Formats: sequence, structure tokens, C-alpha cells
Amino acid sequence: MNYPIWDLPASGLLIAGVAILHVFISHFAVGGGLFLVVTERRARRDRDAALLDYVRRHSRFFVLLTLVLGAITGVGIWFTIGLVHPAATSTLITTFVWFWAVEWTFFAAEITAALIYYYGWDRLSPRTHLRVGWFYFWNAWLSLVAINGILSFMLTPGDWLTTRSVWDGFLNPTCWPSLVARTAAAAAIAGLYALFTAAWMAPPDLKARLARYAGLGWIAPAVAVVALSLVWSLAAAQGAGVPVREIVGVSGDGPSAWASALARGAEAGYPLARAAARAVVVAGLVCLVLTAVIVFLRPRRYGRAIAALVLASGFVTLGGAEWVREALRKPWVIGQYMFVNGVRLPMAPDAVAAGGGDDRFTVDALDATGVLVAANWVRLPDPASLSATDVRLAEGHEVFRLECATCHTVDGHLAIRPLVSGRTVAALETTVGRLAAPVDAAGQPAPWHAPDLRVTTWRGRHMPPFVGTADERRALAMYLASLGGLDRAALDGEAEQASAGAALFDAHCAMCHGADGAWPLAERPARSVDSLVELIGRLPEVNAMMPPFEGSDDERRALAEHLSTLVGRAVPEATP
Amino acid sequence: MTPLWLTGIPQADPLPQPGPTWLLWTLLLVTFVLHLVPMNLVLGGAVLNVVARWRARRGAPHAPTLAHDITKAMPVAIAAAVNFGVAPLLFLQVLYGRVFFTSSVLMAWWWLAVVPILIAAYYGAYVLSFRADRPGRGATALAWLVLLLVAAISFIYANNMSLMIRPDVFGEKYLADGRGWHLNLGDPTLVARWLHMVLGALAVAGVGVAALGLARRRHDAAFAAWAMRHGSLWCAAATSVNILVGFWWLALLPPDSLLRFMGRDAAATFVLAIGTLTGLGVLVASWLGARAERPAPLAWATIGFMGVTLVMMALTRDQARWGVLTSLGFRPTTWVEPQWGPILLFVVLLVVAFGSMGWMVTRLFAGEVERPASTP
Repeated sequence: MNYPIWDLPASGLLIAGVAILHVFISHFAVGGGLFLVVTERRARRDRDAALLDYVRRHSRFFVLLTLVLGAITGVGIWFTIGLVHPAATSTLITTFVWFWAVEWTFFAAEITAALIYYYGWDRLSPRTHLRVGWFYFWNAWLSLVAINGILSFMLTPGDWLTTRSVWDGFLNPTCWPSLVARTAAAAAIAGLYALFTAAWMAPPDLKARLARYAGLGWIAPAVAVVALSLVWSLAAAQGAGVPVREIVGVSGDGPSAWASALARGAEAGYPLARAAARAVVVAGLVCLVLTAVIVFLRPRRYGRAIAALVLASGFVTLGGAEWVREALRKPWVIGQYMFVNGVRLPMAPDAVAAGGGDDRFTVDALDATGVLVAANWVRLPDPASLSATDVRLAEGHEVFRLECATCHTVDGHLAIRPLVSGRTVAALETTVGRLAAPVDAAGQPAPWHAPDLRVTTWRGRHMPPFVGTADERRALAMYLASLGGLDRAALDGEAEQASAGAALFDAHCAMCHGADGAWPLAERPARSVDSLVELIGRLPEVNAMMPPFEGSDDERRALAEHLSTLVGRAVPEATP
Repeated sequence: MTPLWLTGIPQADPLPQPGPTWLLWTLLLVTFVLHLVPMNLVLGGAVLNVVARWRARRGAPHAPTLAHDITKAMPVAIAAAVNFGVAPLLFLQVLYGRVFFTSSVLMAWWWLAVVPILIAAYYGAYVLSFRADRPGRGATALAWLVLLLVAAISFIYANNMSLMIRPDVFGEKYLADGRGWHLNLGDPTLVARWLHMVLGALAVAGVGVAALGLARRRHDAAFAAWAMRHGSLWCAAATSVNILVGFWWLALLPPDSLLRFMGRDAAATFVLAIGTLTGLGVLVASWLGARAERPAPLAWATIGFMGVTLVMMALTRDQARWGVLTSLGFRPTTWVEPQWGPILLFVVLLVVAFGSMGWMVTRLFAGEVERPASTP
């Protein structure tokens, strides 16, 4: 809302594609760096010329893959996140610029070391060459440490939410388990790539030795550590307030509850997260089984096809795990700070807000002002040229674009049409109003700025709350109903009802209660429609100067609905 | 509905700027200059490579050697350009993110295209480098492709960098189309900016060739002398046109911004004046060096003048950006809370990284070793 939205349906998938490709190569860059230097040392220790030659040729493949595709896809992630979600990107950069600068120093040393390791086979002494190799690995791993802190912050910002200390944000509740998991994954991936290049470069004897070395020395132990650290990561996330069990759809305790949730599915939870978790389990098992086949059954003779399959299944496993990680964070893009659509939580009234008090993109501010008024880059047609219905539909479409299109396309990825098909406006309006609500750790209603905030979401689907006025919610509901096939006559009726209420207000109330009147309603506190219906029935009791309402029940409800869009519209004062 | 948003500029994050503006600005400019050098060598070198191959096919002496050397160096130059491009982009986003992210979204597909184009150019450069000892028609075609890809990246960057300082056109562009296909072709300064950058790259590449000549004096005196003159000629030719293009770009600035360079702002006037003088120094030294009997001293002078000019021109560009943006409503954030711990950590690690990089590079060029690492 603060930045223009790139009109690209399912733009998040672009980040996913570039990021998963990068992670598969960058983790290889870390683990593979260790593999190169450890294997070189082993080759020297054993005076193994064939193994040393393999390391040299593997290092050329390594440089060509990691320095070009690996490094530039890393830049690619940076480009895509800035295009798809500039609000979150700007927040991360404003908070962590020095950590990214630190990561850059590691990256610069890493690139230099990789090039010198590659070009230095014939120009450096063995001791210096190994030193350069170790230097490469340590810098590669440290750059992983830097990025891991920032990435895990997005899921669990920890005490940063209250202290705003960057170290609290970096050393957050999931940073350590995530670091262990990624380091182990890097080692496992290094083993997979070694199996792959050995299939291309090594004669049968060497191939057999490499297969056992990679399979038993790297892949197997690393996968065990990965599995344990993933459990640790999920437990740490759950402890920090991420509803892991709910997202996957687990009910009950113990491994069997998890297994059944993954195998059979559940009515609650986030289907894509479950599908991704299934992919991790299945692809991971395929990868392990194929590795075992290579190591124990065909170490001398395994071919390029099976090696490629091992690598591919590793890729799917890693991709699935990253997908689950992203899914766990929904509906947030930065946990308990910013929702996926860029809407932020308000700060607590007593929080230090030296410069952030007039943030107009918080839940509270947007509810008061309306999202179509507060957002930049809003595209609405000239109402004079359209019918009332088309104006409402255009507003609803724009609200959808601002608040929902981050994740939902109309007919494609996370399609909205099947979800709203055949629904009435009233049903959609009610559901949209119930997407998410703030509660505390005990499940009791709490304000959005509560320190131990949890979000309870409709059917555990983990969507952000609707923000905006009741009028905008109605417009969104009309738009969604139109997508779901509601006929034009019904839509016209809805629009008319809204304008019937406005007409009644103009005729009977606006003289005193309009924006220019003596008692403008915007300053009155917000009320529900039912409460207003009841109030309209006893106007003289509220104030002796008001005449009683003399209209049908339908007109009374229409007026009440219109009043609900007017009351409580005063812009909140900036917090000191 | 009257929107609350009045300018084309998004609001700042409700978070403090994590470092003093002077520090972030200094780091932005310093790292940008570090990026300029290899980036110009890549773009200009790609042109010189294609020309050298063309001349080599016609039997020009020394041209094959030049083509070979540029080809071998290109992957490393690209690595350096990318590596040193990360830091200024980072600091740019801290200081100017509000306008930079916006302009990027407006031209999203073009901006994103830089990534696959760069990957293709980088791999192309590696393929060329592996085949450097076997030049042929295929290699020439690939050299042309690398040149076109790198030139495309430079054009895309010129569009984004010129668009980001024009928040006055953000709204109309977005309201017309938000699918990310805009360029900044309607801006009169775009062509002047791009031409200035490309000619500058040719000049810097020429200086690079002259520097190559200086480095080769002991090993191959004939090639060294030729390279110093040849590189100086490229530099002189490109700079002579570029000075005029620079003034053209200046004249296209809005009057308020132009006047800052004409005395209204001391810093702006100073950097432009010095940069113009040293630019003329580049022109004179390289023109003389192109025809000198002993080109080495003039080559050194050209390098010195070019170094200062690059710094001054980066500062001038920064002043122009500041002038235009502030005249269009951009205001820097005043909420600053420096993270001194991370800043110190960065400074220390930067020194460590550069120190270790220096050590590794010197070991690589230290000379023959008795028993190289390739022997078990």
C-alpha cells in the first residue's frame, strides 16, 4: 500500500523459484567448499593423485556453478523481493543493513578465495592452496550465518518486537536451530553434488571410493543432523509463538499425530504447507534410498541418470523444506510486525515511538481511515461515468488488489474464485470480517499491540485480518460475490441497498449529523449494525431533539448499515 | 475519495535509520567508485575486445594479444563488478529506498531481466575465456553477444537510476499500467546519462589497456608500448566526446538543479569544477600519450587524472540526484539511531576481508613455486 503493487499474479512464486534455486546452489557453495578442502587434504595425506585430480576438476565445476549461477541468483532474490514486497524489504534493510554489509565482506573474501583456489592449483604451494581453501569455506559459512540470522528473524523476531534491538532480532529464537539445520544441509548437499560429479568425472575405482566417501562420510551423517535440527527448529518456532501444529493441521500429540496429519490431511490448517511437508518426506526418502543404492549396490557402475535423480530429489527436499518454512510464517511477512500485505501492527501506546507515531499503515489506522483513502497508488475509475454497482465493484476490486492479491489470484495459484463460488454478499462480508482476530497466549481477546500476541484465524487458514471501513468490506464482498457468479440483479440490489441507506441519511439526518453538521457522526464511536438498528428504533430517547424513525424494517436496516460506515471514522492521533 | 498521499514518494519506514547519514553516504560513494572501475572495464573492455578481434582478423599487430588478455580477464572483472556492486546498492536502498523501490517496480520486468542477462553474459565470458587460445568466428560472435548483453544491462540501469529521481512521474506511470513494463524513455536526460556512462566506460577501458601496457613493460616491450598508446587513444577519443555529452546532460537538468552547479551550492560547484578540470587533464594526457615516443609517464598521468575524475564525477552525480530529488519533495529521514556495535563489527571485518584478499592475491602473483598444489 505504501509502495506500488507489481500487477503480477502469484508474484510470490517468483521469489520462491529464484530463492529455491539459489539456496540449492549456495548451500552447496558452503558444504562443497568444506568438501573440497577436506578431500584435498585427504588426497595429499594418502598421496592419491587420482583423488587430487578429481578435486581439481570438481573445483572447476564448483567455481562455474557457485560464482556465476549461485552468486547471481542470490542477487536475483534481492531483486525479486524488492519488486514483490518492497515494504518488507525496506524494513529488513533499515534494520539489518550493517549485517548485510558484514555479509558482503564475507562474500567478497569468499569470491576472491574461490577464484584464487581455482586459478592457484599450479601457482600456489600445497600449504597455501589448502589455506586458501579453508579461508573460502569459513567465509562462505559466515555469510550463511549472516543471512540465516535475518531470515530466521522474519519468522521469529523474538525480543526485537519490544526492544527494537538489532541483536535481539539477529539472535532470535530460531536462529541457532536454523543455523545447525542449514549447515548440516550444506554438508549433505555437498555429498550429493560429489556423487553427481563423480558420475561424470571419475573412473570406476575412484568412483566407488568417492561414492562410499560421499554417501557414508557426508550424506548419511548430515541428514541425521538435519532431521534432528529440523525438529529442534519447529519446537523453537512453536515456543516463540508460531502455530506450527495448527498450520500443518496436527491434532493430538506424538509422532503418529504428525504422520496422520501429513498422510491423510485435515480440514484445518494450510493445505500448501502440508503438501510441501509431504514433498520433503517423500523426496527425502527417495534421495536416501537412491544414495543407498549407489553406495551399497552399484558404487563402481552408477550412471549419470541416477546421480542426476539423487541431485533432483535433494533439490525437491530442500525446496519443500523452504516452502514449509515460508508457510509457517503466514499471515506474516515479518512475524507479529507486518502482515503479508504490508499492513503493520500498531505499536503499544507506551512504546517508544520517536518517529513512528504517524504510521498510517497499521491495522488501527487503516480501519479508521479506510484503505482506499490511506493507500498510495490506488486506481479507481471516475464514478460519474459508472453505475452505482460498477463503482462498488471497482472499489471492491481495488481493496482485493491491495489486501488479498499478495497471495490470491482469481483463477490460478491459491485461486479465490472456487472459495467464493455461489456465496452471497452477506456471507462473504461476515467471513471477511472474521479472517483473523488478535488474542493473547491464553486465547483471550487482546489488542493488536499486546506483547504476547497470537492470531486466531478462520479455519486455521492463516490469513491476515481485513482492514478498512465497513463500507470497504461490503465493497470487497460484492466484488468477491461477483467473482463467485452472483448475478447482476442481486449485485444491483446490494448497491441499491447501500445507496438507499445513504438517501435516507441525506433526507432525514444529514442536516445535523452530516460532515458539515453540528454533530458529525464521524466523531461518534463505532457501533455494530445491530446496535444501530436498535438505536434508530428509539431516537427520541437518545436525544429529545431527534424525531422518531418512520420507515420500514428494511429501510431501518439499510440506514443502520449506512450509519455503520460513518461512525468512528476520526483519524487516530499520533502516538507521542 | 481524496487520497492522503500527495507526492509520488512513499512514506518512510516507522523505524530509525540505523547509521548517521554522513557515514551511509560516504560508504555509498566510496563503494560506488569501487564498483565503477571494474564495471567500466567490463563494458568498455567488451567493446575493445570486439574491435581488437576485428583488427586481429585484418592482421593488425598486437591486436590478437590484446583480445586474448581482455578475454582472460573478463570473468574476473565481472566478478569484481558484481561484488563491488552489492555494497552501493545496499546503501542506496537505505538512503533512497523510498524512490528506488518504486522506480524498480514500475520497470519490474526490465529490472528483473538484469539477472538472467548477467548470468548469460558471465557464462559467455567464461566460455570465451576457456577458448581464448582458439579464436575464431564462433568466439567473435560470442564476444559480440557478451557486449550486447552487458550494454543492455547498462541501459536498464540508466533507466532505473534516472527514473528513481523522478517521483513526479511515478503516479502517472503506475496509474497507466502497473505490470512493470515502463522505461524512462520520456525523460530527456536518459540518453545523455547513458551515453555519458558508455563513453566513460570506453575511456576507463582505454586506461585499463594503458595500465596493462605499463604492467607488461619488462616482459614484452613492444606490446607494452603499443598498448599504452592504443589504450590512450581510446581514452582520448571517448573523453573528447564525453566532455561534451557531460555538458549536454548538465544542460538538461531542471533549472534549479543546474544552478546549484553554477555557484548556488558550494559543494556541487566544487566537485563539478574539479571533475571538469581533471577530465580535461585526462583528455590532454591521453591525447599526448597516444602519440608519445615514451608513453609510460603520460600513461601514469592519465591513470592519476582518471582516478580523481571518477571520484569527482561520482560526487557530481550524487549532487545532481540530491538536487533533483529534494526539489521534487524528497526529504531525508530525521529519525536516526546508529547501531554502533554492528557498525564497528562491519568496519573491523571490512579491514580483515580486504587484508586477507590482498594477501591471497599477492600469493597468487608471487611467482613460481617449487612444488605446486596440483602435485600430490
